[in-house]
Amino acid sequence: MSKAELKVKGGKLVKCRLDVEEGYIKNIKYTGDFFLHPEEYIEKLENSLTGAAASTEIIKNIIEEFFKKPEITLIGASPEDFVKVTLSCLEAYK
Amino acid sequence: MIWRVIPLTVNKASVNMAVDSAILDEVSAGRSPPTLRLYRWKPSAVSVGYFQSVNDEVNIEACREMGVDVVRRITGGGAVYHSYEGEITYSVIIPEDYEGMPKDIISSYELICGGIIKALNWLGLKAEFKPVNDITVEGKKISGNAQTRRKGVILQHGTILLDLNIKEMFNFLKVSKEKISDKLIKSVEERVTSITSITGVKPDFAKISQLLIKGFSESLKFNYTFNGLTPIEEKLTREYDEKQFSNREWVFRR
Repeated sequence: MSKAELKVKGGKLVKCRLDVEEGYIKNIKYTGDFFLHPEEYIEKLENSLTGAAASTEIIKNIIEEFFKKPEITLIGASPEDFVKVTLSCLEAYK
Repeated sequence: MIWRVIPLTVNKASVNMAVDSAILDEVSAGRSPPTLRLYRWKPSAVSVGYFQSVNDEVNIEACREMGVDVVRRITGGGAVYHSYEGEITYSVIIPEDYEGMPKDIISSYELICGGIIKALNWLGLKAEFKPVNDITVEGKKISGNAQTRRKGVILQHGTILLDLNIKEMFNFLKVSKEKISDKLIKSVEERVTSITSITGVKPDFAKISQLLIKGFSESLKFNYTFNGLTPIEEKLTREYDEKQFSNREWVFRR
Protein backbone atom coordinates (compact mmCIF):
# COMPACT_ATOMS: atom_id res chain seq x y z
CA MET A 1 0.00 0.00 0.00
CA SER A 2 1.38 3.35 -1.00
CA LYS A 3 -0.06 6.78 -0.26
CA ALA A 4 0.44 10.24 -1.69
CA GLU A 5 -1.32 13.55 -1.34
CA LEU A 6 -1.30 16.77 -3.24
CA LYS A 7 -2.49 20.18 -2.07
CA VAL A 8 -3.70 22.03 -5.13
CA LYS A 9 -2.54 25.65 -5.08
CA GLY A 10 -5.56 27.76 -4.21
CA GLY A 11 -7.64 24.61 -4.40
CA LYS A 12 -8.36 21.38 -2.68
CA LEU A 13 -6.61 18.30 -1.43
CA VAL A 14 -6.34 15.14 -3.56
CA LYS A 15 -5.09 11.95 -1.96
CA CYS A 16 -4.30 8.63 -3.59
CA ARG A 17 -3.83 5.19 -2.10
CA LEU A 18 -2.86 2.20 -4.22
CA ASP A 19 -1.55 -1.33 -4.24
CA VAL A 20 0.59 -2.72 -7.03
CA GLU A 21 0.99 -6.46 -7.50
CA GLU A 22 3.32 -7.96 -10.09
CA GLY A 23 3.44 -4.73 -12.03
CA TYR A 24 -0.30 -4.11 -12.13
CA ILE A 25 -2.54 -1.87 -10.03
CA LYS A 26 -4.54 -4.07 -7.73
CA ASN A 27 -6.46 -1.41 -5.79
CA ILE A 28 -6.68 2.32 -6.09
CA LYS A 29 -8.67 4.90 -4.19
CA TYR A 30 -8.85 8.68 -4.43
CA THR A 31 -10.02 10.77 -1.50
CA GLY A 32 -10.11 14.47 -0.73
CA ASP A 33 -12.25 17.60 -0.60
CA PHE A 34 -12.41 18.27 -4.35
CA PHE A 35 -15.65 18.29 -6.36
CA LEU A 36 -16.29 15.85 -9.17
CA HIS A 37 -19.64 15.84 -10.96
CA PRO A 38 -21.21 13.30 -11.34
CA GLU A 39 -19.73 12.06 -8.05
CA GLU A 40 -20.11 8.36 -8.88
CA TYR A 41 -17.56 8.76 -11.66
CA ILE A 42 -14.77 8.53 -9.11
CA GLU A 43 -15.52 4.81 -8.92
CA LYS A 44 -15.41 4.60 -12.72
CA LEU A 45 -11.98 6.19 -12.70
CA GLU A 46 -10.78 3.82 -9.99
CA ASN A 47 -12.21 0.84 -11.88
CA SER A 48 -10.56 1.84 -15.12
CA LEU A 49 -7.19 2.04 -13.36
CA THR A 50 -7.59 -1.25 -11.51
CA GLY A 51 -5.75 -3.94 -13.42
CA ALA A 52 -3.78 -1.43 -15.49
CA ALA A 53 -0.03 -1.84 -15.86
CA ALA A 54 1.76 0.37 -13.35
CA SER A 55 3.59 2.37 -15.99
CA THR A 56 3.76 6.15 -16.07
CA GLU A 57 2.58 6.42 -19.67
CA ILE A 58 -0.34 4.06 -19.31
CA ILE A 59 -1.61 5.58 -16.07
CA LYS A 60 -1.24 9.11 -17.36
CA ASN A 61 -3.13 8.19 -20.49
CA ILE A 62 -6.03 6.51 -18.68
CA ILE A 63 -6.52 9.47 -16.33
CA GLU A 64 -6.29 12.10 -19.07
CA GLU A 65 -8.71 10.22 -21.33
CA PHE A 66 -11.11 9.71 -18.43
CA PHE A 67 -11.43 13.42 -17.66
CA LYS A 68 -12.13 14.20 -21.33
CA LYS A 69 -15.64 12.75 -20.96
CA PRO A 70 -17.97 15.68 -21.71
CA GLU A 71 -20.35 14.93 -18.84
CA ILE A 72 -17.59 15.38 -16.23
CA THR A 73 -16.87 18.57 -14.29
CA LEU A 74 -13.91 18.58 -11.93
CA ILE A 75 -13.66 21.54 -9.54
CA GLY A 76 -10.85 22.44 -7.13
CA ALA A 77 -8.32 20.19 -8.85
CA SER A 78 -7.26 19.38 -12.43
CA PRO A 79 -6.79 16.11 -14.32
CA GLU A 80 -3.04 16.84 -14.13
CA ASP A 81 -3.30 16.89 -10.33
CA PHE A 82 -4.80 13.41 -10.45
CA VAL A 83 -1.98 12.29 -12.74
CA LYS A 84 0.65 13.82 -10.44
CA VAL A 85 -0.68 12.35 -7.22
CA THR A 86 -1.08 8.92 -8.81
CA LEU A 87 2.44 8.93 -10.22
CA SER A 88 3.93 9.98 -6.91
CA CYS A 89 2.02 7.12 -5.34
CA LEU A 90 3.51 4.74 -7.94
CA GLU A 91 7.02 6.03 -7.21
CA ALA A 92 6.96 4.03 -3.99
CA TYR A 93 6.95 0.84 -6.05
CA LYS A 94 9.94 1.71 -8.20
CA MET B 1 -43.08 29.47 -9.50
CA ILE B 2 -43.99 29.50 -5.81
CA TRP B 3 -41.25 27.95 -3.70
CA ARG B 4 -41.69 25.96 -0.56
CA VAL B 5 -39.78 27.11 2.50
CA ILE B 6 -39.37 24.51 5.23
CA PRO B 7 -38.67 26.54 8.38
CA LEU B 8 -35.90 25.66 10.82
CA THR B 9 -36.02 22.03 11.94
CA VAL B 10 -33.73 20.11 14.26
CA ASN B 11 -32.76 16.56 13.30
CA LYS B 12 -30.04 14.02 13.68
CA ALA B 13 -27.37 13.97 10.96
CA SER B 14 -28.63 11.00 8.96
CA VAL B 15 -32.15 12.44 8.84
CA ASN B 16 -30.89 15.84 7.73
CA MET B 17 -29.08 14.27 4.79
CA ALA B 18 -31.98 11.90 4.02
CA VAL B 19 -34.42 14.82 3.82
CA ASP B 20 -32.25 16.46 1.15
CA SER B 21 -32.24 13.28 -0.95
CA ALA B 22 -36.00 12.80 -0.52
CA ILE B 23 -36.75 16.36 -1.64
CA LEU B 24 -34.30 16.03 -4.54
CA ASP B 25 -36.23 12.98 -5.80
CA GLU B 26 -39.58 14.71 -5.55
CA VAL B 27 -38.38 17.92 -7.20
CA SER B 28 -36.96 15.70 -9.94
CA ALA B 29 -40.33 13.96 -10.35
CA GLY B 30 -42.04 17.36 -10.59
CA ARG B 31 -44.20 16.63 -7.54
CA SER B 32 -42.48 19.11 -5.23
CA PRO B 33 -41.72 22.76 -5.92
CA PRO B 34 -38.26 24.34 -5.61
CA THR B 35 -37.45 24.21 -1.93
CA LEU B 36 -35.41 26.08 0.66
CA ARG B 37 -34.95 24.41 4.00
CA LEU B 38 -33.16 25.49 7.16
CA TYR B 39 -31.97 23.09 9.81
CA ARG B 40 -29.77 22.35 12.78
CA TRP B 41 -28.04 19.16 13.90
CA LYS B 42 -28.90 17.47 17.19
CA PRO B 43 -26.74 15.87 18.38
CA SER B 44 -23.92 17.97 16.93
CA ALA B 45 -22.34 16.13 14.01
CA VAL B 46 -19.46 15.91 11.59
CA SER B 47 -20.30 15.61 7.91
CA VAL B 48 -17.63 14.51 5.46
CA GLY B 49 -17.60 15.15 1.72
CA TYR B 50 -18.51 12.41 -0.77
CA PHE B 51 -14.86 11.73 -1.61
CA GLN B 52 -13.30 12.05 1.82
CA SER B 53 -11.90 9.27 3.96
CA VAL B 54 -13.75 9.23 7.29
CA ASN B 55 -10.73 7.83 9.07
CA ASP B 56 -8.49 10.55 7.66
CA GLU B 57 -10.85 13.37 8.61
CA VAL B 58 -12.77 12.41 11.72
CA ASN B 59 -11.73 11.51 15.24
CA ILE B 60 -14.28 8.69 15.45
CA GLU B 61 -13.35 7.82 19.01
CA ALA B 62 -13.92 11.38 20.29
CA CYS B 63 -17.22 11.56 18.39
CA ARG B 64 -18.41 8.31 19.93
CA GLU B 65 -17.44 9.45 23.43
CA MET B 66 -19.24 12.75 23.12
CA GLY B 67 -22.24 11.43 21.20
CA VAL B 68 -21.39 13.39 18.05
CA ASP B 69 -22.87 11.87 14.87
CA VAL B 70 -20.80 11.21 11.74
CA VAL B 71 -22.39 11.25 8.30
CA ARG B 72 -21.20 11.17 4.70
CA ARG B 73 -22.74 13.72 2.34
CA ILE B 74 -23.69 13.15 -1.30
CA THR B 75 -21.82 16.37 -2.10
CA GLY B 76 -18.07 16.80 -2.43
CA GLY B 77 -16.02 19.26 -0.40
CA GLY B 78 -14.56 19.12 3.08
CA ALA B 79 -15.42 17.90 6.55
CA VAL B 80 -17.67 20.19 8.59
CA TYR B 81 -18.36 20.23 12.30
CA HIS B 82 -22.04 21.09 12.72
CA SER B 83 -22.30 22.35 16.26
CA TYR B 84 -25.88 22.39 17.53
CA GLU B 85 -25.36 25.75 19.21
CA GLY B 86 -23.01 27.38 16.76
CA GLU B 87 -24.24 26.93 13.22
CA ILE B 88 -27.21 26.84 10.90
CA THR B 89 -27.45 24.85 7.68
CA TYR B 90 -29.57 25.44 4.58
CA SER B 91 -30.43 23.45 1.48
CA VAL B 92 -31.67 24.84 -1.82
CA ILE B 93 -33.18 22.23 -4.13
CA ILE B 94 -34.19 23.35 -7.62
CA PRO B 95 -34.44 21.93 -11.14
CA GLU B 96 -31.26 22.44 -13.18
CA ASP B 97 -33.27 24.23 -15.84
CA TYR B 98 -34.73 26.69 -13.31
CA GLU B 99 -35.04 30.11 -14.93
CA GLY B 100 -31.91 32.20 -14.49
CA MET B 101 -29.85 29.38 -12.98
CA PRO B 102 -26.43 29.21 -14.66
CA LYS B 103 -25.34 25.88 -16.15
CA ASP B 104 -21.85 26.69 -14.95
CA ILE B 105 -21.43 25.26 -11.47
CA ILE B 106 -19.28 28.01 -9.95
CA SER B 107 -21.64 30.72 -11.25
CA SER B 108 -24.58 28.88 -9.73
CA TYR B 109 -22.74 28.68 -6.39
CA GLU B 110 -22.31 32.42 -6.54
CA LEU B 111 -25.96 33.07 -7.36
CA ILE B 112 -27.27 30.84 -4.57
CA CYS B 113 -24.70 32.15 -2.07
CA GLY B 114 -26.05 35.62 -2.84
CA GLY B 115 -28.90 34.92 -0.43
CA ILE B 116 -26.50 34.27 2.45
CA ILE B 117 -24.44 37.33 1.60
CA LYS B 118 -27.56 39.50 1.80
CA ALA B 119 -28.50 38.04 5.18
CA LEU B 120 -24.99 38.67 6.51
CA ASN B 121 -25.00 42.20 5.12
CA TRP B 122 -28.23 42.95 7.00
CA LEU B 123 -26.44 41.90 10.17
CA GLY B 124 -23.76 44.46 9.38
CA LEU B 125 -21.14 42.07 8.00
CA LYS B 126 -19.29 42.75 4.75
CA ALA B 127 -19.60 39.29 3.24
CA GLU B 128 -18.14 38.27 -0.11
CA PHE B 129 -18.33 35.19 -2.32
CA LYS B 130 -14.98 33.47 -2.59
CA PRO B 131 -14.85 30.91 -5.42
CA VAL B 132 -15.21 27.99 -5.49
CA ASN B 133 -17.60 27.51 -2.63
CA ASP B 134 -16.94 29.83 0.31
CA ILE B 135 -18.26 33.07 1.74
CA THR B 136 -15.78 35.23 3.62
CA VAL B 137 -15.93 38.26 5.89
CA GLU B 138 -12.74 40.31 6.30
CA GLY B 139 -10.96 37.56 4.36
CA LYS B 140 -12.04 34.82 6.78
CA LYS B 141 -14.39 31.98 5.95
CA ILE B 142 -17.83 32.22 7.55
CA SER B 143 -19.80 29.88 5.27
CA GLY B 144 -18.93 26.74 3.30
CA ASN B 145 -21.19 25.39 0.57
CA ALA B 146 -21.41 22.22 -1.51
CA GLN B 147 -23.41 21.30 -4.56
CA THR B 148 -24.44 18.19 -6.42
CA ARG B 149 -26.47 17.79 -9.58
CA ARG B 150 -28.49 14.60 -9.91
CA LYS B 151 -31.61 13.58 -11.77
CA GLY B 152 -31.84 17.03 -13.36
CA VAL B 153 -31.87 18.76 -9.98
CA ILE B 154 -29.38 21.03 -8.20
CA LEU B 155 -28.94 20.45 -4.49
CA GLN B 156 -26.82 23.04 -2.77
CA HIS B 157 -26.38 22.91 0.96
CA GLY B 158 -24.13 24.89 3.21
CA THR B 159 -23.37 26.12 6.65
CA ILE B 160 -23.25 29.53 8.28
CA LEU B 161 -21.15 29.89 11.42
CA LEU B 162 -22.94 31.74 14.19
CA ASP B 163 -20.42 30.97 16.86
CA LEU B 164 -17.15 29.10 16.74
CA ASN B 165 -15.37 27.01 19.32
CA ILE B 166 -12.15 25.99 17.63
CA LYS B 167 -11.02 23.69 20.45
CA GLU B 168 -14.31 21.83 20.31
CA MET B 169 -14.19 21.63 16.50
CA PHE B 170 -10.71 20.10 16.51
CA ASN B 171 -11.70 17.62 19.14
CA PHE B 172 -13.81 15.96 16.41
CA LEU B 173 -12.03 16.84 13.18
CA LYS B 174 -8.76 15.02 12.83
CA VAL B 175 -5.76 16.98 13.80
CA SER B 176 -3.40 15.21 16.13
CA LYS B 177 -3.75 16.24 19.78
CA GLU B 178 -0.28 17.84 19.80
CA LYS B 179 -1.27 20.04 16.93
CA ILE B 180 -4.14 21.61 18.85
CA SER B 181 -1.60 24.05 20.14
CA ASP B 182 -2.12 27.76 20.61
CA LYS B 183 -0.31 28.25 17.33
CA LEU B 184 -2.78 26.15 15.33
CA ILE B 185 -5.75 27.77 17.05
CA LYS B 186 -4.32 31.14 16.14
CA SER B 187 -3.89 30.16 12.50
CA VAL B 188 -7.46 28.83 12.34
CA GLU B 189 -8.67 32.07 13.93
CA GLU B 190 -6.95 33.90 11.10
CA ARG B 191 -8.83 31.86 8.49
CA VAL B 192 -12.27 31.16 9.96
CA THR B 193 -14.77 33.44 11.63
CA SER B 194 -18.36 33.55 12.85
CA ILE B 195 -21.12 36.10 13.21
CA THR B 196 -20.45 36.31 16.95
CA SER B 197 -16.70 36.85 16.47
CA ILE B 198 -17.39 39.85 14.27
CA THR B 199 -20.43 41.51 15.77
CA GLY B 200 -19.87 40.46 19.37
CA VAL B 201 -23.48 39.29 19.53
CA LYS B 202 -24.81 35.83 18.77
CA PRO B 203 -27.93 36.21 16.62
CA ASP B 204 -30.79 33.99 17.71
CA PHE B 205 -31.82 31.20 15.38
CA ALA B 206 -35.21 32.77 14.62
CA LYS B 207 -33.56 36.01 13.52
CA ILE B 208 -30.92 34.43 11.30
CA SER B 209 -33.53 32.10 9.79
CA GLN B 210 -35.77 35.02 8.93
CA LEU B 211 -32.87 36.91 7.32
CA LEU B 212 -31.76 33.87 5.31
CA ILE B 213 -35.27 33.27 3.97
CA LYS B 214 -35.55 36.93 2.97
CA GLY B 215 -32.03 36.87 1.48
CA PHE B 216 -32.57 33.77 -0.63
CA SER B 217 -36.01 34.89 -1.80
CA GLU B 218 -34.61 38.24 -2.94
CA SER B 219 -31.46 36.94 -4.61
CA LEU B 220 -33.23 34.02 -6.32
CA LYS B 221 -36.35 36.15 -6.89
CA PHE B 222 -39.02 33.81 -5.59
CA ASN B 223 -42.29 33.96 -3.67
CA TYR B 224 -42.90 31.21 -1.19
CA THR B 225 -45.21 29.51 1.23
CA PHE B 226 -44.16 27.74 4.40
CA ASN B 227 -44.73 24.03 4.32
CA GLY B 228 -43.36 20.74 5.60
CA LEU B 229 -42.43 17.51 3.82
CA THR B 230 -45.05 15.71 1.73
CA PRO B 231 -46.06 12.19 2.82
CA ILE B 232 -43.98 10.74 -0.05
CA GLU B 233 -40.96 12.77 1.08
CA GLU B 234 -41.49 11.55 4.66
CA LYS B 235 -41.43 7.97 3.42
CA LEU B 236 -38.39 8.54 1.20
CA THR B 237 -36.61 10.21 4.14
CA ARG B 238 -37.07 7.10 6.27
CA GLU B 239 -35.76 4.93 3.43
CA TYR B 240 -32.72 7.07 2.70
CA ASP B 241 -31.95 7.35 6.40
CA GLU B 242 -32.07 3.62 6.95
CA LYS B 243 -30.52 2.39 3.71
CA GLN B 244 -27.92 5.05 3.11
CA PHE B 245 -27.08 7.71 5.67
CA SER B 246 -27.33 5.55 8.81
CA ASN B 247 -25.62 2.69 7.04
CA ARG B 248 -22.03 2.19 8.18
CA GLU B 249 -21.08 0.94 4.74
CA TRP B 250 -22.03 4.31 3.25
CA VAL B 251 -20.44 6.33 6.04
CA PHE B 252 -17.18 4.38 5.96
CA ARG B 253 -17.00 3.65 2.24
CA ARG B 254 -13.92 5.84 1.81
